[in-house]
Amino acid sequence: MIYVVRAVTENRRCCSRTFQMSRQELIGPQGLRNDGRRVNELRDMKCKTSVLSQADGSAYIEQGNTKCLAAVYGPREARMKAQILHNRANINVEISLAPFSMSERKKRSKSDKRILEIASAVKQTFEPIIMTELFARSQIDIYLQILQFDGGIVQICINAATLALIDAGIPMKDYVCACSAGCINDEPVLDLNNIEETNNVPELTVALLPKTDKITLLQMESRLHVDKFQPVMEMAAIGCKEIHTILDKAVRENVKDLLKKVSI
Amino acid sequence: MPPTLISPSENDYIIRGVDSNIRADGRGRLDYRQVILETGLITQASGSARCRLGEGTDVLVGVKVEFGAVELDGADEDVAEIKAKRGRVICNVECSPIASQQFAGRGADDFNNELTQMLDRVLNGPQSGLNLEKLCIIPGQHCWIVYIDAIVLDYAGNILDTIFMTTRAALYSTRIPKTIIQERGDGEIEFDILDDVEECERIEGWDKVPVAITLNKIGSRHIVDATPLEELTTEAKLLVTVNKDGKVCGLQKSGGGSIEPSLLIDMVQTGRSLGQSLIQSLDEMLQREENDINLKRAQKERKLGFFAAT
Repeated sequence: MIYVVRAVTENRRCCSRTFQMSRQELIGPQGLRNDGRRVNELRDMKCKTSVLSQADGSAYIEQGNTKCLAAVYGPREARMKAQILHNRANINVEISLAPFSMSERKKRSKSDKRILEIASAVKQTFEPIIMTELFARSQIDIYLQILQFDGGIVQICINAATLALIDAGIPMKDYVCACSAGCINDEPVLDLNNIEETNNVPELTVALLPKTDKITLLQMESRLHVDKFQPVMEMAAIGCKEIHTILDKAVRENVKDLLKKVSI
Repeated sequence: MPPTLISPSENDYIIRGVDSNIRADGRGRLDYRQVILETGLITQASGSARCRLGEGTDVLVGVKVEFGAVELDGADEDVAEIKAKRGRVICNVECSPIASQQFAGRGADDFNNELTQMLDRVLNGPQSGLNLEKLCIIPGQHCWIVYIDAIVLDYAGNILDTIFMTTRAALYSTRIPKTIIQERGDGEIEFDILDDVEECERIEGWDKVPVAITLNKIGSRHIVDATPLEELTTEAKLLVTVNKDGKVCGLQKSGGGSIEPSLLIDMVQTGRSLGQSLIQSLDEMLQREENDINLKRAQKERKLGFFAAT
């Protein structure tokens, strides 16, 4: 007996206002992208701090359909003796992805290579920013949980971790704001979503310190003409600045709320 | 498990409090904390729900329905025949390290496994109430596989009850697309999966899925919905799963202490009546939410007319 499956449509509720487009149509004739944004537009971003009860600092971020929760514990006594650094604090980053976060169900183990790589990128980004030398022989844990995934995993992890670290009151030199930018049809575009990422659009992820304009993370995993690098880079930097104002607003609002509670 | 130490005086304080029917947060022995339930949060999933208990425990459940092969069991022919006509339910519970520092690294593996098995046992047996036969597309070949993934996002005691409540709500919000089976002669069967969002069905029997009530024995009394500190004081735990009709679907005793037979019967009765009323209030909550959504949808369709002049 032969069974033929004719139409199998995955992901019936579309993940980002999309109609499946081919490579050429990532930007429509009106200059709009597949989720209705313009080339220099960020995805809708929402953030909130102090959302969890157990963690010392926590934050929730939504960038379009990518959603992430972050929790920070510490600085506290290092759990494992081998990890103790005698002149500064050790930073530990752990990322987990919900099995239902992608369009196809997939359970990832904690030792998934790709996730470990992202975790180490986040760790390296924060090592020079957090004033670790103030907490010698201790440990700061950053846990990140992706609830829904629609592209831009590195950037959302960094932005969420920044907010959670600030919420935990850990001394930092500056905010770290991350944003991605790509290049479609020789035109730089800001903040790629999953469809653009999977269509082989070159993607550059940048983490920036907004006060000094210093770059702490730079990642690109595909081919991009060197002449196009600068405009794409500038586009990403503009995105980072925009994200900074959004994060800063969230932090200030939270502090205002706290002050209100204290004054009562 | 999250906090690991409790001082003798704190322990004593809780035991005496329970004895005189007052707890640290002002509740009586058999009072639940406030439950907040939301459904349909994860757009990528076929169904999802999130439940928050009081100011702490937070569980997110995503249900994904994918089609796959039926389970083939070679060992027993009778069992294999039944299984070939059924869909499958696969459960998975994960305690995220963001909920508590104790869940970091491999710290939660055993606990995750324990919770997964507990959920799996209740949902895969006949007591789950789910109509698994309905999930079969072509007997012996294809069926729907229902993946239930629970993530514990925040911890403030009583994880298991919350997981069961959330799972039930997530199953309520789950939609399975309709299939059309066509026989094309010479033994060839093909099926279409309809792409229409409106042409979806609920999982049959979601309303019969039981909830769990954990009863904690403290001193010579028992309490429900324990906080982390109360869980540390607990001598023995009894898990009672109850369905809508008030039937007990499962019992599980855990913890180091023991329970006297007379108290045991009392605990099962309490669990039963509490479970039934809990299901009632959860169903009301879900109904209210659906009404709100329908109302909003109806408002959206109201036409504005040209230039919204009217």
